[in-house]
Amino acid sequence: MADTKLFINGEWVAAQSGETFATFAPSTGEKIADVAKAGREDAQKAVEAARRAFDDGPWAKMSGKERAERLRKVGELINARSAEIAEIEARDGGGTIKKAMFADVPGAVGTFNTFADLAESSPDEVDRGESPFPPAKSTVRYEPFGVCSGIVPWNFPFLMAGWKIAPAIAAGNTVVLKPASFTSLSAIEMVKAVEEADIPPGVVNLVTGPGGSAGEELAQHPLVDKVAFTGSTEVGRRIMQLASGTVKKVTLELGGKSANIVCDDADLDLAAAGVLWGTFFHNGQVCESGTRALVHRAIYDEFVGLLVERAAKIVIGDNMDMNTDQGPLVAPSQVDTTERYVKLGLDEGAKLLCGGSKPTDLAAGLDPSAYYLPTIFEADNSMKIAQEEIFGPVLCVIPVDSDDEAIKIANDSIYGLGGGVWSKNVERAHTIAASMRTGTVWVNDYHMITPTQPFGGYKQSGIGRELGDYGFNEYRQIKHVWQNTATDRSGYLHFSALSGNI
Amino acid sequence: MKVTGTEAAARAVERARRDRTGALVFTIGTGCCESTAPFLYEDFWPGPDAEAVGEVGGVAVYAPAYLRALYPGDDGVVIDVIDDVAESMSIETEYGRRFVLRDAAGQPVVGPARQSCEVPEAVSALRSRGPQELPAALRRARMR
Repeated sequence: MADTKLFINGEWVAAQSGETFATFAPSTGEKIADVAKAGREDAQKAVEAARRAFDDGPWAKMSGKERAERLRKVGELINARSAEIAEIEARDGGGTIKKAMFADVPGAVGTFNTFADLAESSPDEVDRGESPFPPAKSTVRYEPFGVCSGIVPWNFPFLMAGWKIAPAIAAGNTVVLKPASFTSLSAIEMVKAVEEADIPPGVVNLVTGPGGSAGEELAQHPLVDKVAFTGSTEVGRRIMQLASGTVKKVTLELGGKSANIVCDDADLDLAAAGVLWGTFFHNGQVCESGTRALVHRAIYDEFVGLLVERAAKIVIGDNMDMNTDQGPLVAPSQVDTTERYVKLGLDEGAKLLCGGSKPTDLAAGLDPSAYYLPTIFEADNSMKIAQEEIFGPVLCVIPVDSDDEAIKIANDSIYGLGGGVWSKNVERAHTIAASMRTGTVWVNDYHMITPTQPFGGYKQSGIGRELGDYGFNEYRQIKHVWQNTATDRSGYLHFSALSGNI
Repeated sequence: MKVTGTEAAARAVERARRDRTGALVFTIGTGCCESTAPFLYEDFWPGPDAEAVGEVGGVAVYAPAYLRALYPGDDGVVIDVIDDVAESMSIETEYGRRFVLRDAAGQPVVGPARQSCEVPEAVSALRSRGPQELPAALRRARMR
């Protein structure tokens, strides 16, 4: 990696302290690069640059069409380097190269293109009609908020960077992005594309560094108007408190403990594959992972048999190999967390059906401390492993006797991010979906997210929505312009009626 | 639920106390990338249903009601600190450190022996070959 600096006001600069931190390939433990370690002062400079670019620069004044052209250019530039960026993404974060090539990079391109379309097609002004008395005309204007902070996690670093940058700048805002420290490298590549796409200096800024200093500053700085965050619920609460000092708009996409309901009329073959995909994709390090499978008792034994049989077919190994389904977790500390929960599950009496340890026969050169086997427990919903988000490859299977019981258990969580229903009866599936208190429900599928449709959480899974027109409007202020159309004082009776003879 | 801390955790708190002017508080929170973990914040309101469940280095540790219910009685939860990159906004991230939860002995928990689920044969054949072409079925698949 040549450039591991901060990007502030259109220039690549070292951290003021001169400090860096190392980033490692999780699969081997090998150091990949030294990354600039931004402190509080660097974050302040980035915010100030974004403020100047918003207040004095051309970006907020451009038409949606002009902004759209530049967003599409970002997408083209990323596409042209997709294989290279996918390799950086997979190597740095430990996700499989398949995930990077099929989901992360094209997903980010799709995000830039979708918000380009929205910037172009969404009117800045809407006529809201006339008032009969006094004679007046109402117009609603959609305007950018100003400076937006975007703070993203390590599980989908490139895609999440796109989810924060694209809608913000499409709507005319400027942005400061802070990637996760485990995975800063691919965001640097995205910002290079932004730089090359003729987007003015200061519109997109990048600070890499710790949340305790740089992140805190981005959440509380008085010149920031909006904070968008994806990550843990606890950090989301911290961001809300920091942002409250100057009443910033906040959107949060947080944790989950999502349920996959398998009805007795489901296509069991498909549902088993779907439940495994819903849990073990990216080692369960996905906010909406379906980590609780609620399975009707009539098909329970057969279904659990399928799950265990199929889990053994998940190929674990080098994440840079196209044959690998499941690579390392993001860091050995994430494996420690997973191990801790497996022990808690056993202590509470959960029945281990498969997995429950690190793999013992990895290929030479891979770091065994970073890997964990797909693990399936038969559990009770009151157990810690069924209530707390592990963020590792652990599935809890829970038998249920009815749809009502399944819904009740699915909703018995502080979270409400995602969920799935598997049934051949579409009407039944949609009835269950309507009762689930979550921001997304997949019917006979899981994990599928498109840049054109909203994504977000109920309860402690978040505030607001990302993607699509719903997500776009989270980056647009609403201004009501009232114009009195009277030609003389007869249209201003409220002056005298309410305030005397002024 | 009762939470204690290691000496190393207490020393890390002491450093934070020197660097920060506000009141420090630990909160045990949950969700997403951090899983359930301790967070050290300055001037933080732990929440309407949070109660103190211990103290580390003179700083109170708060936990919300639903977590306390999951860990009834004294479950021996220990806050320790390790040298590691962390993604939260906890103060120690600034020092390249990370507060973690451990068991009562203050040792990392060791997982159980593997009980079933054979490792796929393909694992042994894996070699690092770098990025390759997508499978034919996926080549045309793009979101746009």
